[in-house]
Amino acid sequence: MYPEDKTPPTIPPAGFEPLEGGAGLSNVLNKLLKKPLSLVHHLQNHEDRGKLPVRLLVITILALAVFGLVAGSFSAGSQLWAAPVKMIAGLLLAALLCLPSLYIFTCLGGIEARFLTVAGMLCAVLALVAVLLVGFAPVVWLFSVSSTSLAFMGFLLVVLWLICAGFGLLLIFRGGKALGMTASGHMCVWGLVFLLVTLQMPTTLRPIIGPGNGSFLNLHEKRFFLGYWIEQFSTEIDPEASRTGNAEGE
Amino acid sequence: MTGSRLLPPLPALCRGDRSLLDGWLSGHQRGSLGTCVLLIVLGCGAYGYTIGLWRGGEMALYVAVKLPAVILLTVVLNGLLNGMLSLVLGSGIGVRRSLQFLLTAFAIMAVTLGALSPVALFQVLNTPPPGGGSAGGSYTVLLLTHTSLIAFAGIVSHRKLLGLLRSKAATPGAGTRTFVAWLAGNLFVGAQVSFILRPYFGIPGRDVEFLRADPLQGNFYEAVYHAAATLCGF
Repeated sequence: MYPEDKTPPTIPPAGFEPLEGGAGLSNVLNKLLKKPLSLVHHLQNHEDRGKLPVRLLVITILALAVFGLVAGSFSAGSQLWAAPVKMIAGLLLAALLCLPSLYIFTCLGGIEARFLTVAGMLCAVLALVAVLLVGFAPVVWLFSVSSTSLAFMGFLLVVLWLICAGFGLLLIFRGGKALGMTASGHMCVWGLVFLLVTLQMPTTLRPIIGPGNGSFLNLHEKRFFLGYWIEQFSTEIDPEASRTGNAEGE
Repeated sequence: MTGSRLLPPLPALCRGDRSLLDGWLSGHQRGSLGTCVLLIVLGCGAYGYTIGLWRGGEMALYVAVKLPAVILLTVVLNGLLNGMLSLVLGSGIGVRRSLQFLLTAFAIMAVTLGALSPVALFQVLNTPPPGGGSAGGSYTVLLLTHTSLIAFAGIVSHRKLLGLLRSKAATPGAGTRTFVAWLAGNLFVGAQVSFILRPYFGIPGRDVEFLRADPLQGNFYEAVYHAAATLCGF
């Protein structure tokens, strides 16, 4: 046996059990919060596993549409529809970009899983993150109607995103362990890559919460998210720069 | 080699599947060397393309060719030495099998890099262009990101290689010694091969070119020495 294989067989974590109640939309939503590992079990072992990722994606899209609508209410106008569209498209694109590396990294971590299982796990992560974001939607709405600071709203959304993404990544780790992951270092690196991609995505698809000013996308000006955030904060702190029209809105 | 014959080993290769690697490393399974070379060309080629893309399509194609070439040239140049070293160090692994070991490890590295290519592409597409005012900063960020990802893929693949060597050598200790010798030799020669085949990222302001005008002028270690001397004010 190779060194990684010398570790004693791990006991499946609690909750890694067959999905009770079927793969209906409401049951999947329920299990996503209560017993997410049962979804991973279903994806790995059930014969009819193909429908579950689709349902998880439906939950993701619906939940992000709600959250995007609330986030877009900060600037209102066209952002009411643009923000949900960009959030859904951005998160799905980020997942698509990271899916090949997730599959290869799960293999490197010793997991013997099908591509569909890994893709389904990623869909479960997206759905969990999206549902948790909906839980935060009232908080975001409260600040969106009372705050006028774009930088504060941006900061708040990033913090909320990091909290929710943390739960999502935890699910990936727990799912990986349940499927027999023997080395978790690769998954840590993947988690970092996923976070960086999802943090860059709002800058790429800007403006999302800031005023649209007639433009849906601003792809011609390429920016790193950190540099862009620093510029936005500086603009907010220095009102003179804001008056001269430096603020583009995020 | 057809896609169906090539693709199934990918997950098994990354997992270090024993039945697959036993067949490969014993030399009984035909086509394993070709599979590894193909994976290196495809994986490193795809990643190399994203490295060069910041400077345009021409540079992307150049690096897509050069990145696999660095690895294959290093393995070929060191092939005989690696085989001899492994025998001298008591691992019982000959020249052909040492080549298979190294190509297997680099194939894992190539698959890892290939899987990271979409993310690297996304980063390049969001990087301010080399002609802009922040080109120096963008160049540094790209350099650091790609170096980190390549280093990560290299570490992952060499950890697998160490595990394989320790299990397949006459004794685990001989496997470790052979691994250290191979690593030292490959780093020494690989640094020079990559120095000759530069540029990869394309420093802003310089022309896009396949090789520098004087690729065989100087060596990696001289360049490091001169850089260190300049830094210290000698």
